[in-house]
Amino acid sequence: MNRLHQLAINDEGFVFDPTTGESFTTNPTGLTILQGLRAQKSPSQIVEDLCADFEVQPEDAERDINDFIDVLRTHKLI
Amino acid sequence: MKKIYEKPVFIKLESGFMNKFGSSPYYARKIRKDIDGVSIDQLVSQFGSPLFVYSEATLRRRYREMFTAFNTRYPHVTFGWSYKTNYLQAICAIMHQEGSIAEVVSEMEYDKARRLGVEGKDIIFNGPFKSPFALQKALSEGAMVNLDHFDEIYDIERVADAWGKPVKIGIRLNMDTGIHPQWSRFGLNLDSGQAMDAVKRIASGGKIAINGLHCHIGTYILDPSAYAREVEKMVCFAYELEDQFGFKIEYLDIGGGFPSKSRLKGMYLPPEVAISPIDDYAERITDALYRHLRPGDFPRLFLESGRWLIDEAGYLITSVVATKRLPDGRRSYVADAGVNLLYTSYWYKYTIELDREIQGVNEPAVIYGPLCMNIDIIDEGSLLPPLDRGTRLIFSPVGAYNVTQWMQFIEYRPNVVLIGDAGQVDVIREKEDLNDIDQRERLPERLKFDTLDTSHAPTGAVR
Amino acid sequence: MAEIYVGISGINAVDNPGPGVGVARSLHEDPDLKVHVVGLAYDTQEPGIYMDWVINKAFIMPYPSADAEAYLQRLHYIKHSYGLDVVLPCLDAELPFFTKYQHEIAALGIRTFLPTLDQFNLRGKDRLADIAEAIQVSIPPTKVVTSLAELHRAVERIGLPVMVKGAFYKAYKAYTYQEAVAHYHKLVAEWGYPVIVQGMVFGEEMNVVAVGDGQGELLGQVGIKKMWITSLGKIWTGVTIKNERMRDVTANFIRRYRWKGPLEMECMVDGDTVYLIEINPRFPAWSYFATGVGVNLPANIIRKIYQLPLPATFDYDPGKLYIRYTDELVTDMQMFQKITTQGEN
Repeated sequence: MNRLHQLAINDEGFVFDPTTGESFTTNPTGLTILQGLRAQKSPSQIVEDLCADFEVQPEDAERDINDFIDVLRTHKLI
Repeated sequence: MKKIYEKPVFIKLESGFMNKFGSSPYYARKIRKDIDGVSIDQLVSQFGSPLFVYSEATLRRRYREMFTAFNTRYPHVTFGWSYKTNYLQAICAIMHQEGSIAEVVSEMEYDKARRLGVEGKDIIFNGPFKSPFALQKALSEGAMVNLDHFDEIYDIERVADAWGKPVKIGIRLNMDTGIHPQWSRFGLNLDSGQAMDAVKRIASGGKIAINGLHCHIGTYILDPSAYAREVEKMVCFAYELEDQFGFKIEYLDIGGGFPSKSRLKGMYLPPEVAISPIDDYAERITDALYRHLRPGDFPRLFLESGRWLIDEAGYLITSVVATKRLPDGRRSYVADAGVNLLYTSYWYKYTIELDREIQGVNEPAVIYGPLCMNIDIIDEGSLLPPLDRGTRLIFSPVGAYNVTQWMQFIEYRPNVVLIGDAGQVDVIREKEDLNDIDQRERLPERLKFDTLDTSHAPTGAVR
Repeated sequence: MAEIYVGISGINAVDNPGPGVGVARSLHEDPDLKVHVVGLAYDTQEPGIYMDWVINKAFIMPYPSADAEAYLQRLHYIKHSYGLDVVLPCLDAELPFFTKYQHEIAALGIRTFLPTLDQFNLRGKDRLADIAEAIQVSIPPTKVVTSLAELHRAVERIGLPVMVKGAFYKAYKAYTYQEAVAHYHKLVAEWGYPVIVQGMVFGEEMNVVAVGDGQGELLGQVGIKKMWITSLGKIWTGVTIKNERMRDVTANFIRRYRWKGPLEMECMVDGDTVYLIEINPRFPAWSYFATGVGVNLPANIIRKIYQLPLPATFDYDPGKLYIRYTDELVTDMQMFQKITTQGEN
């Protein structure tokens, strides 16, 4: 069950899950990834998004996205 | 215009961990791009990673600061460089150049000091184990030997018998100075009367003359007044010996134990808050001397400080070789230096500096060493920004004990370099190679082979 | 006069409350002072952050246990981005930092009213015996321990039950050796070494809050008896008292050591015998009690710092009652989000 869609996310990177009451913080790159995942984008599309907006190599972005998804998984958000 | 990239983070807010500074990019993040003006990049590209780096300037500055603190208050003071803290020849040579004699606690250290050119008379020989051979050698070369226990009396009397004349020694005391824990395993206890019993036994034998007292109250002593209590008790005991037995005490060796700005685990306050300046220690110690010494009596004061002098002069540069996300969500790093090089990480939490500015929020992270061994952890949890492979971490202060207690386990020990006063960098201990590991081994002829042949490997019992 | 920006920590008004909110309320109640309270918090959920009628603005601080330089930088940031004239630190764990770095803090243009480092160290829980002798007061049998073996010996010598205390904070009663060991481990994990073991003494527990001016004089003292305490040992109901013996002990201590700043004396009084249990070098959590009976100690400190006239008398009436009560506040998450992401509300 994907909980990502229920999250309330503000522009400053404050993330609140209204179903569990948990709060999280993220940063601008994390926001981009979250928004991508919520829009059902594939990791490779998100890599493109990151590379378009930020000064980063695709390889680094890919590694970081994988790690980010790992973290979401440990919080049972995906 | 693209934005600066920082690694994405996603952190759960938990009570007790919701401190902005846990994740602040502005505070508590330390960057070090050079040591004494030599860039970390240059050091690593020239000498490899990991790398121990010593600053000669810091070492000399610390020595002079501490020596001045004592010498200006009590001129009859001599420092005995604590070899066990760091016995690399270059380090010892700097200490001796500054005017320090040697303080050794084993035959190996004694030999090391002698080979470096230190005369026996400039060596203090302490410790709970001195072989009869080592004792005989040290005494005949004029070293100052401090008796640790009752059994050594017999060993020393045997030396006196062989010489046909009395031997001069100091005795080591232990005592309650109001600090915790009280060190009681070295020397003879003053408070219980054990020390006095030993003196009586020595006096009745007539073969040994006591001319010095030694004590070392502990390590990482935060309370300067503990030394004042130590000095008071030593001076009073010295006069008891003089008045009752006619032994003239020529030196008081008050040991070391002065804390460096290293953070002992289990210590709540940061060291810069908890630790008093060395002048406070010098003031209490010399004040106690002047208050209790008899007029005109100025025995030599020996200090055996190790950690205080050298810890802050030593750095270890290590590189991140891998990043791993642990199942509990924590980030972890594998570094190329572990407990094999930082033995003291079992007790101390080091300052960790990064060699570059890194964007991103701090996260709790664990730093593992390279050993294939579960206990190889050099930092159990520090707040670090997301680090890339190849990022260098500079651990400090690590100058004390690590290059004497390091262990040879599955890895070669790295280069140790010294940055001189003029910025020159010298290797003071070369990186090891297989010869260093193998040269003492002997492979019996019958076990030698050219190529590994597994075709007839036994499958059943070996007969 | 211009508004004075006073930084106050310990605004964690929870079940084991910090003193900050009571100190802040006291400052607001001085009719002549115009005080703007800047809350210094360590967690985004400290209630004071959300009590904007008491704490005008709040900042998250780095832990004083982490890095002195970072703490100084943060004070400097607050001073320049917002305003900070005085800091009244209210938590034990901050005091070693604030006492040691008084000069550096003063150089930032921020005033404090604290004991010297020597005075501060003197009242360490492991040195109570020296003070007790100097100001002629008794103390319960006390042992300072750093190992299980020492703990065992101490418990054996003192006899059960005992109080097991951390170097900075927290005290637990142990009726068995096993309990003492459990408390010991808990205290070491949180506060490090040493741990203090104290025998139980009997009598009435009485407390004093007082402020010394640094020249041996008092800026007021109020004695209380706790009538009802919570399971955490925190006062819920109390009454003011005037016990001459205890007042003397407090005045003697302040005179003899020229104590500067607030302190709380915890005593057990058994007839004429006063046992000194602890001296806390800061305001107690119930400091507002003194303000309520007319001895506004936080305001007196600010007055002393700014050389404003002090009240003609520090007298108060015994028999005034103190009742702590809980209250609730409902708000939306905005302030929580702001302090979490920006470190200030």
